[in-house]
Amino acid sequence: MAQQINFSKKRGNQLGFWFFRTALKLFGLSGAYGLLYFVCLYYLLFDRLAVSAGMAYIKRRFKTYNFLQRIFGVYGLFINQGKNLIDRYYIHSGLGQFDIELQGYDKIRSLLASSQKGVILLTAHVGNWQVTMTVLKQFGKTVYLLMSPEENAAVKNALNIDSDREMLRIISNENFLGGVVEVMKVISEGSLVSIMGDRSDGYPSTEAYFLGEKAYFPYGAFSIAAAAQCPVVVLLSAKTSAKKYVVDVSHVIFPRYNSRADKKDALNKCVREFAGIMEDYAIKYPFQWFVFRDIWKRQN
Amino acid sequence: MQKNDAQEIAEIRKTLKEMLVKDLALEDIKPEDIKDDAVLFGEGLGLDSLDAVEIVVLLQRNFGLEVKDMENRKDIFYSIDSLAKYVHENRKKT
Repeated sequence: MAQQINFSKKRGNQLGFWFFRTALKLFGLSGAYGLLYFVCLYYLLFDRLAVSAGMAYIKRRFKTYNFLQRIFGVYGLFINQGKNLIDRYYIHSGLGQFDIELQGYDKIRSLLASSQKGVILLTAHVGNWQVTMTVLKQFGKTVYLLMSPEENAAVKNALNIDSDREMLRIISNENFLGGVVEVMKVISEGSLVSIMGDRSDGYPSTEAYFLGEKAYFPYGAFSIAAAAQCPVVVLLSAKTSAKKYVVDVSHVIFPRYNSRADKKDALNKCVREFAGIMEDYAIKYPFQWFVFRDIWKRQN
Repeated sequence: MQKNDAQEIAEIRKTLKEMLVKDLALEDIKPEDIKDDAVLFGEGLGLDSLDAVEIVVLLQRNFGLEVKDMENRKDIFYSIDSLAKYVHENRKKT
């Protein structure tokens, strides 16, 4: 856990964000993207922790790659993640917009109309979830993000999280009982709760085959949804061209079990379904999954 | 009057213990083995945050309690005793 915090702190500071913001204003998107190639090269050469974190995924996704190709794969991940952060600021600062295609809109609209309860949005470190949250505004619901409060003030400021205008709120997973009571409450009030489903980070997890090997995914979101009797909508996004994102909410999972004895099997089944959806995503958009964890190793 | 309250709380404690053992499938524990002041989470009964979700549902289903009233109430979930007192004070009288 300490490593994760260090990883975050190293990557964002006020000066760095100022540098990219200025480049964006002066040279536009392509100019800011251009800077990324140098900055990411620095991280590739000197940030062994970041490279190692990306390599766990790349070596499973591209099994036939040699070492040099894998290094370039990690470089691709760094660059794409940097582009996503720049894109987020580009939208947020009003410099321009991206075309955003929302897949599954009718499905989620129907789910929200058919119940007073909200839904859990199970997402992952893919595409650009900050852009995704912007799209979700059209549902007119407050979106709660179950996550650690950003340690890094620069990152929080850049993402504009927890502002009234954005209708985004953080429920801290460092609150009592991991914030689950608050999650239950806001779901009962009809709100949307976004939970990351691709990193267990020490939370209860279960096995699922992923990219040909046994991996570990957290099942907390499914457990909460089963208790709250609400659906889990898988929320994924991807950048499909220079000025376009796709946001997909078309996969819906209904975690249910009749008795305590059925619970484990029911939750495992949900996790396997989610892993399958993630595998399809990784095949389609290989350089847009920024998991940066070895999810094939069980986390303590 | 105080005696009645005490009896009611004792009954709630007993019900809660039975519910926890049955619905959370606590292994190798009988309701009568659980002490009134047993801490629910971490050390003690060893429950975790996902068990808390189940407890919230049990309180809703069996005592008509609302989740919004439980938010940020760390004191409620401390022990069997604190849970029983909260239920006693807040359950909907039918």
